[in-house]
Amino acid sequence: MSAVAAVPGLAATLDAEGLHHRYRLGRGLEPVSFSLSAPGAAAVTGANGSGKSTLLRIVAGLLRPTGGTCRLAIDGAAITVGQCRERVGFASPDLSFYDELSVEENLKFAAEARGLRDVLRSVGETLDLIGLGSRAPERVATLSSGMKQRLRLGFALLHQPAVLLLDEPGSHLDEPGRTLVRTTIERHRRSGLVVFATNDEQEWRLADQRIELRGGGLGHPA
Amino acid sequence: MPTSGSSFGAAVWAILRKECRSEWRTRYGLNAALLFAVTTLTAVSFAVGRLGDRTDLLAALLWVVLLFASLVSLSHAFVREVEAGTLTLLRLVAAPTAIAFGKLAFNLLFLTVLELITVPLFMILMGGPPPRWGAFLGVLALGSLALASSSTLVGAVIAQTRGRGALFAALCLPILLPMLAAAVSGTRAQWQAASAGAEMRLLASYAAAVLAASVLLYDHLWED
Repeated sequence: MSAVAAVPGLAATLDAEGLHHRYRLGRGLEPVSFSLSAPGAAAVTGANGSGKSTLLRIVAGLLRPTGGTCRLAIDGAAITVGQCRERVGFASPDLSFYDELSVEENLKFAAEARGLRDVLRSVGETLDLIGLGSRAPERVATLSSGMKQRLRLGFALLHQPAVLLLDEPGSHLDEPGRTLVRTTIERHRRSGLVVFATNDEQEWRLADQRIELRGGGLGHPA
Repeated sequence: MPTSGSSFGAAVWAILRKECRSEWRTRYGLNAALLFAVTTLTAVSFAVGRLGDRTDLLAALLWVVLLFASLVSLSHAFVREVEAGTLTLLRLVAAPTAIAFGKLAFNLLFLTVLELITVPLFMILMGGPPPRWGAFLGVLALGSLALASSSTLVGAVIAQTRGRGALFAALCLPILLPMLAAAVSGTRAQWQAASAGAEMRLLASYAAAVLAASVLLYDHLWED
């Protein structure tokens, strides 16, 4: 089995009810409710500042919501924030890597810290998938922004998560990179659950469901 | 994806190795700490000469040098992650407690390396009497554990605040004062052929209390 496919046989569900968040300095996410289940993909769309990234950070366990409920379950059992690290893959444009370490060392560190058994195989397969095999020994500081975005995608896929959360996955990418994103979403949605935030029409057309955030923001396109 | 049995241990070990690799490549803390220690010892040595049997001054000077040489680096264990934007990555791969213990392990290793260079230099330049090695190393080890655990905890607390440099000093120095007093007293006692047992027990209790508080606190840190 490829290191980058979702874990088969794990039925993931994600339910949100009145989920909202307010940052100390301003609005984050207006109340939103939805119900998603694997296999499938959902696109989160909305204007800048409408809370797409906030929503994904809450689901990933990085942010505690101000109110409402968010329940992520695998095979019917709700998973804790701690279990999120094993079950959820997360990539966002503000995810940074260690500049002084190489591409391969960054992924190895993530795999070792997560306690993966076959670190070298997982890292090797992930590097091949994201097209950074030849750049593996180079330090992250030398990568272009597009290559760093590919690395973020690899980081999210490294541990074969049941749920994949991608925030603006196509940002900074060239056409082959965007094709990689679309292929990844297509592949993962067959067995797992993919939730991705995007305003790229080509990307959100890959989704079975669309969660449109209307709150906040700088205004919505007609 | 299959994971190994002890994910906590694996995470701590991975973070320790990552910290060592990063420090080796950037020399972010070690160069500054060694520069401070060597400069201070050389300046004091030129100014007052060898202190010989002034064990009270020797003990205080040793810990003042170790404290200020190490604090700059120890305080940056978490600040570097925040400033480089890598804290999110860390939180996605390891539990907060594992992150903190990985950082603590690195800080202890850092202190050990610093002491391996600073203490012999101190002995040579300041001319201290031969220590009673068991008690001396015991006080040094427990003092280092207390120093590393408290500075790691304070570093984690202040990492995401504004004005973190000033806050670190304001929080850390009062917290470290009991530990510093015990370490100085224990070091002086072993040089004066007195028992350093009470000071070592105090340092061990202090470190245990800080570590226990850390375990309770770390899971609640770093939320946006």
